[in-house]
Amino acid sequence: MEELVIKASKLKKEYSSVSQKIVALKGIDIEIKKSEFVAIMGPSGAGKTTFLNLVGYLDRPTSGELDILGCDPAKFNEEKLSRIRIGKIGFVFEEFFLISFLNALENVQLPLIFARDYKNNNRPRDLLKRVGLDHRLTHFPNELSGGELQRVAVARALVNNPEILLADEPTGNLDTRNAHELFNLFRDLNREKGLTIVVATHNIRLGYSADRIIHLNDGKIEQDERLVK
Amino acid sequence: MKFLILAYKNLKRRKSRSFLTIGGVAVAVAVLVCLLGFNAGYQGALTSDIDKMGYQVVVTAKGCPYEAATMILNGEAGLKFIDEDIYKQITSDPDIDKITPLLAQLAYDPEKMEGKGGFTNYLGIEESYMPLKPNVEIIKGEWFSGNDVNEAILGYDAAESEKKSIGDKISIPGKDIVFTIVGIFNRTGSQEDGTVFLPLKTTQRIFDVEGKLTGIGIKLKQIEKISEFEDRLYPIASIQVISMSQVKGTILNLVNSAKVLIMSVAFIAIFVAIIGVINTILMSVFERTQEIGIMKAIGASRLDIFQLIWMETLIVCTLGGIFGSIIAIFGGNLVELLVRKVMPYAPGGRLLLITPQLLLLSFLGVIIVGIISGLYPAFKAASMRPIEVIRSGE
Repeated sequence: MEELVIKASKLKKEYSSVSQKIVALKGIDIEIKKSEFVAIMGPSGAGKTTFLNLVGYLDRPTSGELDILGCDPAKFNEEKLSRIRIGKIGFVFEEFFLISFLNALENVQLPLIFARDYKNNNRPRDLLKRVGLDHRLTHFPNELSGGELQRVAVARALVNNPEILLADEPTGNLDTRNAHELFNLFRDLNREKGLTIVVATHNIRLGYSADRIIHLNDGKIEQDERLVK
Repeated sequence: MKFLILAYKNLKRRKSRSFLTIGGVAVAVAVLVCLLGFNAGYQGALTSDIDKMGYQVVVTAKGCPYEAATMILNGEAGLKFIDEDIYKQITSDPDIDKITPLLAQLAYDPEKMEGKGGFTNYLGIEESYMPLKPNVEIIKGEWFSGNDVNEAILGYDAAESEKKSIGDKISIPGKDIVFTIVGIFNRTGSQEDGTVFLPLKTTQRIFDVEGKLTGIGIKLKQIEKISEFEDRLYPIASIQVISMSQVKGTILNLVNSAKVLIMSVAFIAIFVAIIGVINTILMSVFERTQEIGIMKAIGASRLDIFQLIWMETLIVCTLGGIFGSIIAIFGGNLVELLVRKVMPYAPGGRLLLITPQLLLLSFLGVIIVGIISGLYPAFKAASMRPIEVIRSGE
């Protein structure tokens, strides 16, 4: 049996505000194996982001079980979860979320600082080279294009050698060409290093370049299709 | 790149705000250092002034002993007079080691201080003055040639400020007599550096107070015998015995009460600075809600964020401490000038004593303040949840 990196059973997440209660995930079961490239698709409000946040330890489920790389996040406090997250999970966001006062290289170095890893001096540089930005090392976020910003963000997500890369609408703010390039990058990372990638996207064409598509709608799995390549 | 550099880069982003906050801390530190330095310096200067006086005991006319003591320290006149007979009467007291008669007088000189006008102190002395003043010596010229001659010996500063030397003539304003300068004393660091010394008899004649003294300086064989000595002098109704160590204690007591006031001013300055630091850091934390959320999302723990914000506070306080110390060292002279202007009695020597220990202590103090004032903003930042930032970005 192949190793499972993400295992969710009856996973449920509710958000409640004063006026209403929103059930974002209505008890879903998902298993993702090591080195899988999974696209999560569905309309807005389907629960894609909620699922990624739960898997990325950014939020806690209301009920259900979750096992990520053998850890049950419910058992750990926030401090411990950040320590686990930094070493095992890389995050890419739709809005890039780069730190504006740091240049490209420093942005990529940032997770190393939080991991107290001061030795890996060449890795940020190598990663920026890998994503094709070795000529932009000292540029600040406001000097970079959308496609470049997202590639810096990918390099940043990879700097701590994570086992899982989570991407939430990573192409949402990119034009078609840059979106396509980003997916090619994901594809390559997945093939070269066997990196497990879970990406939430609206983009059907890009979704179909993954190994597997999980269609979410209204907090439930509508379809789980494996693509034969 | 490490935490420190990260914190520094963030502060650099808002230069003027960081600079102003650092300025606030610097001013507070400077105030603290100057006030504490003044406190130590004044005490030291007063002690050395009194020790340099040479007399342990001064006999003066009855009156407020502290007013009298202050005037003696200042070398001022205006004291009530005592009869010279009293001097002769107590000279033979068995406990006295050394004794000298003193007659202090004051004259207004409109030409003094480049035409601004000021008072000059004159002190009538006899040869017995010198053994009581082991730190006073004639560095130029010699002692008066007689007991009642029109000759003067100048204190070091008096000679310097008047640009006078041996053989030059001076006159006392309003008196029609010319004095020849026969000697100049060394610099003692006390008030007497600015005094003009005349023979006792001459002073009595010129100022029309024959047979009168303003004080008698005494050194006892054993200072412990002072109360017995006082008791023996008690029957003489017109005089009082002032022990300089008592005077020192009383002046220091007064200074100590001022210390409480001084310290409250310093603490208010520090308090204002703390509020300033907390305000600045907290404001920057709120402005950076998203950034802090991102940092947490990419792996920063609560502790990391806490450390980062805390370090910013520490940088602000450390830089404030360094600049404040520099301001205190260089601005201290200004403060000293000011203090000398407003204090009724300021001892000679340095009033403001800024020692390395004092600087170190103030510096440590500001670091502790920084540590404390950074706690709340850092805690606030660390408590921010990344998920809210990500959701708000949706």
